[in-house]
Amino acid sequence: MTEAGIAELVDRAFDYRGYVTLRRNDGSELVGFVYDRGAGHLDLFDETATQRLRVPLADIADIAFTGEDAARKSQEMWERRKGKLEPRDTPAHGGWVQPGKVLVLVAIEQELRSVARALRSPVLRGASRGRLCGNEVVAVAMGMAGDPRRALADELPRLVVSCGFAGGLDAALAAGDLVLATAVRNADGATLRAPETPRLAAAATLRGLRCVQGELVCAAAVAASPEEKRALAAPGAVAVDLESYAVARAATDAGVPWLALRAIVDPLDTALPPFAREARRDYVWPALRYACAGPRAVSDLVRLARNASRAGAALEAALPRLGRALVISEARR
Amino acid sequence: MGIPAGQMMAVARYLLKQRLAGRERYPLVLMLEPLFRCNLSCTGCGKIQYPVQILRKHLSVEECVSASDECGAPIVSIAGGEPLMHPQIADIARALVGRRRYVYLCTNAILLERKLDEFEPSRYLSFSVHMDGPRSEHDHSVCREGVYDVAVNAIRAALARGFRVTTNSTLFEGTDPERMRGFFDDMMELGVEGMMVSPGYSYDKAPDQEHFLRRERSHRLFARMLGSPKRSWSFNQSPLFLQFLMGKRDFECTPWGNPTYNLFGWQRPCYLLQDGYARTFRELMEETDWSKYGRKSGNPRCQDCMVHCGFEPSAVRAAFESPKAMAGTVASLVTGRL
Repeated sequence: MTEAGIAELVDRAFDYRGYVTLRRNDGSELVGFVYDRGAGHLDLFDETATQRLRVPLADIADIAFTGEDAARKSQEMWERRKGKLEPRDTPAHGGWVQPGKVLVLVAIEQELRSVARALRSPVLRGASRGRLCGNEVVAVAMGMAGDPRRALADELPRLVVSCGFAGGLDAALAAGDLVLATAVRNADGATLRAPETPRLAAAATLRGLRCVQGELVCAAAVAASPEEKRALAAPGAVAVDLESYAVARAATDAGVPWLALRAIVDPLDTALPPFAREARRDYVWPALRYACAGPRAVSDLVRLARNASRAGAALEAALPRLGRALVISEARR
Repeated sequence: MGIPAGQMMAVARYLLKQRLAGRERYPLVLMLEPLFRCNLSCTGCGKIQYPVQILRKHLSVEECVSASDECGAPIVSIAGGEPLMHPQIADIARALVGRRRYVYLCTNAILLERKLDEFEPSRYLSFSVHMDGPRSEHDHSVCREGVYDVAVNAIRAALARGFRVTTNSTLFEGTDPERMRGFFDDMMELGVEGMMVSPGYSYDKAPDQEHFLRRERSHRLFARMLGSPKRSWSFNQSPLFLQFLMGKRDFECTPWGNPTYNLFGWQRPCYLLQDGYARTFRELMEETDWSKYGRKSGNPRCQDCMVHCGFEPSAVRAAFESPKAMAGTVASLVTGRL
């Protein structure tokens, strides 16, 4: 396209009250809201409206007006109701409503602390509240194999994320690797597929981290030994946890989209100490008792602590990206 | 008198300081738009038509305070969008009041009554309630039934709790001057401190493009509406600006008088036109080609504009330009005559 052609498109994009897609000369695309332009550049908010970007005009090959024009929409709404007043309870302009929360459900305190670090918020009474990419997030520790329905009823979220640690069923997975569930399956074989829009957006934003997608098996009890995990392994199954099926079931029943994101704490060939089978919120005292068993027990604990630290760090890195994924998936809806 | 003496003195001191410093261009009112989302979609508004991701955004308290510090204007008008939809609006108002800025929090008052607990009355804080006329005219203007009654109840509640309350009315083609006079009586009876009036600006993004007032029609409307003003009426505006609306005076626009800061930066050149954004207030003042704006420039978008954000600063400035103009302003403020 000629320089004059680009200049004309830039002026139109500046005047446009919707998202545009810039195609760059290198073939890459960028979706954003143009709010200013200069002699040699374009200023825009990215698709999530969280980052300001400046693009040199020389890099732009084309601009497509891909988002809905809010000004035209407003005009059409006004024309439709011309002469008639809105009822008293009309929601806010532009379809803007107070967005619901994102509910992150974890089982134990240690998982909650990882989420809290991602939110940069403290843990208070088994929960942490913060924001990710402008989204209000509530993380709740519901206990191992806990019931997620109460948290759903209390928080009325717009997205539920089952989050925390998992055991590896795929031998290729190491401690700290992330698993984004394509589906969750319970001990009876019932399966729920993860809603596609948030999952695909999440997968895109998690790119660059060590993350695989696959089926998450939800066992009735902790699969602590390599033998137990091998018994659960099936084609496509990559990890095992206790809660994700119950969370997905509760979210589906409530009509709320869900995601399951887990970090591997015990790879396939690693065994967990016996106390890990107990359903507890915290494992400090059992671990201290176990350490008294001898040097081998201490070595097991050191390895477990290292793996848990890696898994926690992985979740901490992944969660801010999920906030971004949420905004993107809603922008595309 | 619609403007408290303390506020007038503060503004006078500020203007004097600018003149003594030999400044040619200086701001009078910071138009702060901390968000674009609104719970109404008024027929003549072109401020809120953005994608939902932009509507969800808002300026932080720190950004608002820093914009006010950067600008230095003694008055801050918090507009939008509907400012009361901002989750930290009370903190913003409190921080600005703490800096002794006279804050006009412009609101449609739908949320005012339930948000009053979050604010503390102060001589620096005034709720400027959007009221475009009597009940039917106002509800028609905001395109929603019942809003006039909600606003009147909120005004009563705010006044009862000791808050300063003013009204702001934007007028369009078809306004009945006699009914507006009755509306002024109603507002003063309600107990508001003062009223503000202005013709609407023809935003190109506003849904209704047919009812914006042209300059001559504005003069006729305001002359009939404000002619022989009642002694009971108080306007929270410069009398010279009201005389300008009535066609008794002519001013050129002062587009830098009410600079606007919002999510995108410092808006060029004024509150109404969006020709781009500066990153700093200094960049706005120094790098904007001001000769492209105002009636004399021939800019077609400025020809019918008589909006307060461009002409009120001109009127205030004019009042300080000669002892005669100053005496006329004071006399008008005291007697209420225009």
